[in-house]
Amino acid sequence: MKTKIQPKPEFMQKMKKLLDQADFEKYEKIIQEPLLNSIRCNTLKISPEELKIKLEKKSWKISQLWKDYPEVIIVENELQPGELGRSMEHLLGYYYIQELASMLPAIALAPKPNELILDLCASPGSKTSQIASQINNTGTIIANDVKIERIKILASNLERCGVADEIITREDGVALCEKLKEQGLKFDKILLDAPCSGEGTMRSSPKTCLMWNLNTIKSLSKLQKKLFQKAFEILKEGGEMVYSTCTHAPEENEEVVDFALKEFKDKIKIEEIKLPVKCREGVVEWENKKYDERVKFCARIYPQDNNTEGFFVAKFKKLK
Amino acid sequence: MIHILSNQETKEILSKLNEQFGIQKIPGRLIKIGKERIFLFNGDFLDEQIKNLEKIVFIEKIGIYIGAIFLPTGEIRLSIEGTQIFKDQITKNLFEINEEKFGNWMQGEELNIKTGLRGIIVIKYKNNFLGCGKASENKIGNFIPKSRRLRSKNIIK
Repeated sequence: MKTKIQPKPEFMQKMKKLLDQADFEKYEKIIQEPLLNSIRCNTLKISPEELKIKLEKKSWKISQLWKDYPEVIIVENELQPGELGRSMEHLLGYYYIQELASMLPAIALAPKPNELILDLCASPGSKTSQIASQINNTGTIIANDVKIERIKILASNLERCGVADEIITREDGVALCEKLKEQGLKFDKILLDAPCSGEGTMRSSPKTCLMWNLNTIKSLSKLQKKLFQKAFEILKEGGEMVYSTCTHAPEENEEVVDFALKEFKDKIKIEEIKLPVKCREGVVEWENKKYDERVKFCARIYPQDNNTEGFFVAKFKKLK
Repeated sequence: MIHILSNQETKEILSKLNEQFGIQKIPGRLIKIGKERIFLFNGDFLDEQIKNLEKIVFIEKIGIYIGAIFLPTGEIRLSIEGTQIFKDQITKNLFEINEEKFGNWMQGEELNIKTGLRGIIVIKYKNNFLGCGKASENKIGNFIPKSRRLRSKNIIK
């Protein structure tokens, strides 16, 4: 039996402001529904075709939702809690359990073989292992996180997935960027999947509702701006950076993007991104604040649009 | 402490891997963390860049854990990923188990089988490479780490 999600009234008021009435009703309904059983085939170890055969032998009904991304797989059976994580194929690293929306930042980043990539807030490693698959273990990924407990999870997941081109570092994200800048190291691609209030993850993590509060959002927004600023400084000219969160709060999304556009002026370009799901434009006005019109190029992913969790993704290029 | 193996040290490891499993080529650079644990790194980052990075930030890990020196005998014990990485090169001390034993193995059990082999051997089931075990006359000792063990054999099906 799924626990009923009980968001705080202030949170629901904010969502009402972001959505029209019909959408809000759909949102209210979908957050009470269980998520799809989504996995990502780990192409470092096995092809989607081979994995499909193995999973179908277990009588799992498999579908591939996104034709350009055959590694993204839905298990349509009703499974026991934890069953995906206990299977032989998971233990051997043939797939990674990953929510569909969480696959979008790495798709937007579109890393290429032999690039130098920074994944600044990398744990638990879903996006790092996805990037390693995309570049087939070539190039170098510096995967950073700040807490030892999170690093252990990151290291264990990357090992199970056969990631061999990564260097795992433990450092505060802002401090790491400052140190790397001092050393003159610059990256082709940076993923800043920033720490956030997690409003989009209520379906998988109902405890987010209890932890949610406005003060946290304000302090996270400050941290996110700082992380963005410091990360963008160590991006190569011509390099690309993706900023993502799993929250709907404009303070943690468009406000951060607006800050970056103002901070880096003619050195930054926000790019249009094509994702395999329905996305909505970024909001240009929120609680008496007007943001730069270009925040429209950001992608808002709402649970009711694609039956996923909620996410926010924006991509930038560093200009000469 | 991270130690990037020199060409000579890499040759010594390769020689052991060749002697034990017939492996002829290492697809990347080898790194030791501690005395026993061996990692394979195939990133483009140069040795000097790694050393420079280590000066400014704490590096938890580089590359993938492929195995450890089994101290009692000095043999190399490949991890699950180690055997998967070298699967196309392993020609010696390779033992294939059946479906029933596959379940037992992945649950971390010792296998009561006469393999005709002695020492560290690679275990496989069909095209799944499952790490190493230690073969003695009548059994194979299991090194599958707890975090990678199956909780129930029914899950195989």
